[in-house]
Amino acid sequence: MSKPVMQAESLTRHYHVSQGVLKPAVTVKALADVSFRLEQGRTLAVVGESGCGKSTLARQLTLIEVPTEGRLQIGSEWVQPGDKAQYKRLRSQVQMVFQNPYASLNPRQKIGDQIGEPLLLNTTLSASERMIKVMESLERVGLRPEHHNRYAHMFSGGQRQRIAIARAMALQPKILVADEPTSALDVSIQAQVLNLFMDLQEQLKTAYVFVSHNLAVVEHIANDVMVMYLGRVVESGPKATIFANALHPYTQALLSATPSIDPAHRQKKIKIQGELPSPLDPPSGCAFHKRCPLADARCESELPVLRELQGRQVACHHTG
Amino acid sequence: MSLLDIQNLSVEFGAKGRGFRAVDTLDVQLDQGQVLGIVGESGSGKSVSMMAMMGLLVGQGRIHADKLFFDGKDLQIISNRDRRKILGKDMAMIFQDPMTSLNPSFTVGFQLIEVLKQHMGLRGSVAKARAIELLEMVEIPGAASRLESYPHQFSGGMAQRVMIAIAIACNPKLLIADEPTTALDVTIQAQIMGLLVQLQKTHNMSLILITHDLAVVAEVAQRVAVMYAGQVVEQGDVSRMFSAPTHPYTRALLQSVPEHSRGASRLHTLPGIVPGQHDRPGGCLLSPRCPKVQDRCSNERPGLYAQDGVQTRCFFPMSAQEVL
Repeated sequence: MSKPVMQAESLTRHYHVSQGVLKPAVTVKALADVSFRLEQGRTLAVVGESGCGKSTLARQLTLIEVPTEGRLQIGSEWVQPGDKAQYKRLRSQVQMVFQNPYASLNPRQKIGDQIGEPLLLNTTLSASERMIKVMESLERVGLRPEHHNRYAHMFSGGQRQRIAIARAMALQPKILVADEPTSALDVSIQAQVLNLFMDLQEQLKTAYVFVSHNLAVVEHIANDVMVMYLGRVVESGPKATIFANALHPYTQALLSATPSIDPAHRQKKIKIQGELPSPLDPPSGCAFHKRCPLADARCESELPVLRELQGRQVACHHTG
Repeated sequence: MSLLDIQNLSVEFGAKGRGFRAVDTLDVQLDQGQVLGIVGESGSGKSVSMMAMMGLLVGQGRIHADKLFFDGKDLQIISNRDRRKILGKDMAMIFQDPMTSLNPSFTVGFQLIEVLKQHMGLRGSVAKARAIELLEMVEIPGAASRLESYPHQFSGGMAQRVMIAIAIACNPKLLIADEPTTALDVTIQAQIMGLLVQLQKTHNMSLILITHDLAVVAEVAQRVAVMYAGQVVEQGDVSRMFSAPTHPYTRALLQSVPEHSRGASRLHTLPGIVPGQHDRPGGCLLSPRCPKVQDRCSNERPGLYAQDGVQTRCFFPMSAQEVL
């Protein structure tokens, strides 16, 4: 096994939420015990519904927040909490693309300046050298270099996402964290942007952490898949293994809920009741037990741990 | 007679003479109990055409139609007073974002009962009982106690259920759902679509489902219309059209869905973007992006032709033999 460019061990993130003036603050366990390893040029897809901790995970990985527990390796260094010089160095290795390209670009700054800003802050290149790099970046993402002095509103949604990708790629990071990068785009534009992600990965050997709720997209782009539910990993493993035979009832429900054009691919819908429980008041035992068709008394009281089973990790009492 | 009969509808915004045609020569016929899917990318005129039909675009654009009939009534000459009797009663609409379509200042019970008062003349405990029944119909747990809740106390999926309850309150003949599940998670999407289909069947409603998600349409609708830059480019039977599309745009849309390219490293794409207000081409609107473009396409606008049981807007439609 080659060396990972990113590795997480039991990442946990708690938030303290105030309930009001006279009530005690409660702790939200937004992320609990998440571990993975990611190698160069590979894509890890993080899948789950809103509120499952996908974006919290993305914030830990990009060093925007410090995890409550657990540790994170970026490149060959383990992150030392509080070491600001190291943070600055490592942040240039992990870049991020956000969901909404209408909000993630500055409307008052020319796109060339926005793409060049990471270079200005992190390198000692001169203005003209930076400009050359910006032109290269624009060309690489399929935009015309002479567009560098335009503003974000002059571009369509798909083009804006390309600009956001160019900015994230300007420093040639080892890891790119993409948080739902295509869910705001139309299908034909989504296909263009997904192709761009695949092309860039082939050229630059960047590793991707791809956060998405769209399983069709995930099946296309990922090497490994990690399914999360209420802050915990419920199933994780190689894409082919999981899509061919999901073991966790939640993964099965997600797969069956995804609509399909081809009647031959359509699965019988597994009806799961209810919605994601509030992270403020998570259920006891297995977090999924209130919606799970297989749940019994053990699921209510005992938290299932991740274990190896048929080539993947799964956290369920009822499989295997 | 069709429940809904739209012929040659066009909607134009902006100054006369150099206005922008958001919807162009749209024909829709829909019978009682049918499900029609309207698919297309943003800006293709899906929502605008339905809003024009309902009369929600008053004072914002010029609407023209040869025929605009709903349930035997001519919607072009109808008075506002009569229109208000139809909207929300016989013809109801569900919008994409439930959180912005519910009024945050009133309880959901108030908003639900308002419809029942207005259209059915129900009052007091009768109205309340019907409201509870409706919330139960859309599977909201503890319906009686949720009448007093405000929209912010609901999750997105639950708020969308409330919207559906309001829409079906008066047993509409036609329900228009404009991207009803786009803002929701995939398991909730499956729940809401299942609910809509079940309600459609039990009440024998007609349903127009506006969406950009081809897979949702494939699973739910019987007929589908694909729109591009304000025009219907192909319409017909869903299974027929999605297995053997005749129009290059339908084909490109289907191919660009990741599901289509299982195992392939690249997705099929259609180069370029949907033309906007200022860059609509002269001939066929798809001609600058079309892989099979020929001279005639750049000079002449194609009409809708019948081809193998579907209607297609292409001079050189693909035959069913060409595999997807």
